[in-house]
Amino acid sequence: MSEGERKGAWLLMVFALGWRMIAGRSRKSLRARSEADAEAARIQEFHLPSGRDADTKTQAVTSGRERWGTLLVACSLIAAIAAGIGFLFIYWTDGGNKLLGGTLALSFAGFGIALVLWSHFLMAYKEATEPLEPLPSPEKDRQTAADDFRAGARDVKRRSLLKFMTVAGAGVFAAMFVSLLRSFGAPIGPALYQIVWRRGQRLMTADNKPVSIHSLRPGDSVTVFPEGSIGDEHAQTVLVRVQERFLRLPADRVDWAPMGYLAYSRVCTHAGCPVGMFESQTNLLLCPCHQSTFNVLTGATPTGGPAARPLPQLPLYADDEGLLRAAGRFSATPGPGFWGIQ
Amino acid sequence: MMAVETGPGHMPSFVNVLSVPEIRAVSYYVTQHLAVIPLQGGDLAEGGTLFRAHCAACHRTAARGGALAFTGINAPSLVNYSPPLIAGAIRWGPGPMPAFPPSVISDEQLNSIVKYVTFVQHPPSPGGTPLGYYGPVAEGFAGWLGVLVLVIFTIWIEKGGRG
Amino acid sequence: MIRRIARWFDSRLHLAQPAREALNHVFPDHWSFMLGEIALYSFVVLIITGSFLAMFFNGSTADVIYHGPYRALHGVHMSAAYQSVLHLCFGVPAGLLIRQMHHWAALIFIGAIVVHIARIFFTGAFRRPREINWWIGLTLLVLALSNGYFGYSILGDLLSGAGLRIGYSMVLSIPIIGPWLSFLFFGGRVPVDVTIPRMYGLHIFAVPAAISVLLALHLGIIWRQKHTNRPGPGRTDHTITGSRVWPTYTAKSIGLFFLVFAVIAALGALVQIDPVWTYGPYDPIAILPGAQPDWYLAWVEGAMRLFPGVNIYLGSYLVPELFFPGILFPVLFFIVLYLYPFFDRLITHDNQPHHVLRHPYEQPFQTALGCAVFMFLFVLFVAAGDDVIAVASGASVVTIRLILRILIFVAPAVTGIIVYGLCILARHRHARGLERALESAAAEGRLISGENEVTQ
Repeated sequence: MSEGERKGAWLLMVFALGWRMIAGRSRKSLRARSEADAEAARIQEFHLPSGRDADTKTQAVTSGRERWGTLLVACSLIAAIAAGIGFLFIYWTDGGNKLLGGTLALSFAGFGIALVLWSHFLMAYKEATEPLEPLPSPEKDRQTAADDFRAGARDVKRRSLLKFMTVAGAGVFAAMFVSLLRSFGAPIGPALYQIVWRRGQRLMTADNKPVSIHSLRPGDSVTVFPEGSIGDEHAQTVLVRVQERFLRLPADRVDWAPMGYLAYSRVCTHAGCPVGMFESQTNLLLCPCHQSTFNVLTGATPTGGPAARPLPQLPLYADDEGLLRAAGRFSATPGPGFWGIQ
Repeated sequence: MMAVETGPGHMPSFVNVLSVPEIRAVSYYVTQHLAVIPLQGGDLAEGGTLFRAHCAACHRTAARGGALAFTGINAPSLVNYSPPLIAGAIRWGPGPMPAFPPSVISDEQLNSIVKYVTFVQHPPSPGGTPLGYYGPVAEGFAGWLGVLVLVIFTIWIEKGGRG
Repeated sequence: MIRRIARWFDSRLHLAQPAREALNHVFPDHWSFMLGEIALYSFVVLIITGSFLAMFFNGSTADVIYHGPYRALHGVHMSAAYQSVLHLCFGVPAGLLIRQMHHWAALIFIGAIVVHIARIFFTGAFRRPREINWWIGLTLLVLALSNGYFGYSILGDLLSGAGLRIGYSMVLSIPIIGPWLSFLFFGGRVPVDVTIPRMYGLHIFAVPAAISVLLALHLGIIWRQKHTNRPGPGRTDHTITGSRVWPTYTAKSIGLFFLVFAVIAALGALVQIDPVWTYGPYDPIAILPGAQPDWYLAWVEGAMRLFPGVNIYLGSYLVPELFFPGILFPVLFFIVLYLYPFFDRLITHDNQPHHVLRHPYEQPFQTALGCAVFMFLFVLFVAAGDDVIAVASGASVVTIRLILRILIFVAPAVTGIIVYGLCILARHRHARGLERALESAAAEGRLISGENEVTQ
């Protein structure tokens, strides 16, 4: 084909397509026009099965209402516009939040009220009734649709073999997508079972100062960390001092509290909030999130609130310089409970 | 003055012994002449960080007080407390409040905390009324008030115009 | 002019027929049918204000030092996210207003959804053929709850950081898959750096996209099935009565949008919400009492506070006490909600399609059950603020909790019984009114055919 012939062929194709579209559309528009008439007839007043006409309550707009309504709508719009100008002014002069938002609210309220009043006073109220077609399609239509589907399916050769392989392929594709979720996760073991205290580590305050047995009086409390992990939220520990004669620790922990110093994990075993409140008179540690209380004298056993497990305790000893050190690990995994917690 | 009135911990209350002007005079004397904490200087931002680390757990970040598991006593609101009173409470831990000796909170840090508390007694609330700094609970009620107003508006919108 | 534009579009899109259908579509006249629109327009406000905020918010947990106008945080270490929020509040013109409007719009959005769901429930609008929309609506609620949680958690302040910790602990408490699932979703043991950036992506893109799609489906189905109608004179299952979309309904609906916007703007102007500068940046060592989530999650929070600390061990494996109120309860609650249309069908033995609603008193058991559930949720909502109540009233939080633990059983039961009785009373009164109407109609010699709804 030469250049010109090719161009001519293209033009012919385009023309043919266009003609088909226009012709098709004019046919469709003829159909549409008759559909429109049917539609119009449908949504006009129609007859109820009892033979009565549909009630069409009308509320015409009287001239009194019209005047009153126009006034109200106009006032609302003026208020809205004024408030809008006020907003612009306050915005451009960096005014305060109250005025800025107040003018914005007034402006929008004015427009909204104007529209609503317009509908109340200046639009005739006409109650209309429309028939509801039953939603299930007529059985004939359902049959036709099903037949079309089956006819098309019959044109697909080698269905049973390839269907099986396609399903298997789809399953693999699904697995590929779902398995990408792995990228969002993180290894559980190291984080959940992390060992935070080791024997011999000094207790350090948040200012990186060691704690000695002279630091606190009975009734005082301070937040401490293992040296080298200041600020580590998983390792945060609360150190309190109580009078030794009040201690009621379990038998295997009697030497965990030198001179009345007690150390417990500061991460609540309920939902993980820092147990920040120490009530010195009742010797209770109180978690402010859900008000769980732990009795420091008996090993931080839960005495009230929703927590179920005691706060893990850290055994302490005082070294030769009088500084407090950890005598081992926490008695349990700190933090809220989970499946497989030790 | 509060300590003289309420008798925190094991201290007796003097409400029935001294008259109110006498209580005020005693407080004035103590705070002006006997208080040894200088209460000068301090850094506002550092005070805020320290307050949030040590104090907010009981008194809330806006220092409006918090609930304790006690009957009858809650961590009080600090809004009306003078600097000497705040400093004294930190050092001596009245009632169920633990004390914070200089090994935990140094004098310089104490000044910062006091400065911050004084600031947060009247914090800026540029967004409007702070609803008592009660947080999401109060905000939830206000939000529902908004929903109620909108429902009333909806009733008005739909009911009007039909005579 | 408008005609020229309309014809320009129509000649390209064949719009006349759909336009006619749209303009003449009949919507029933009752204010209770516009409650969903309050939610819809709140969502629009959320999108508008959210788009503004997204231009400034930095969803990164990189450590920065603040040097902005708020002097009480000067020189303090914080996340870049928190710093960007402070910048929005104190440095961007209208930033604080838009941010507050966004947060208020979220509270109102979910509040309106709840009121809308209540209307659907009590009038039986979820019955056949509208079960699909009931499920879509519930899913929209779940998505809205999630997006609200993500939205206030990405700010990186102390209050929402505590909420992230608690959320992580809740997922962690799920038996068998808990640790794996919580690490998958939060990106590690909270607090961890990836959580906020991840939630930011979910909050501004994934969840709003899902909400938009479902919302479009929701509205499309209403359009296709046509709206239900309240029972009344001339109301049948074969007709729909009301006003046409054009002009009355359009004016009212758009007016409602402006009013929704105005109320949200008024709240944003006058009432401070979530003042993150007073909470300070998130510090895992710090905490504050009076820590609650936003109200729409308070029902779960209240359950967590009231549920006693029971340890359940399956062999040597712990099922933490947090699992039951934190995960099992909300999940079961929503499962029951999703299955409710089947439950209703079971009780009423009614599998017919309905386009006319039922009065709440026509089904006293369902209405009483619904009211009891709402009262249950309300007690939980109050329980979530038990420490705030304690501080405000001077009472002890221990006493308040005890009272609430009793109320959680007593209040719903009493509510249910009272509502049941009221419904029976109303039903009797309606029936008596019906008898009188029938008598007078018979006396006048007019018989109303059984097809129509009989009126009084």
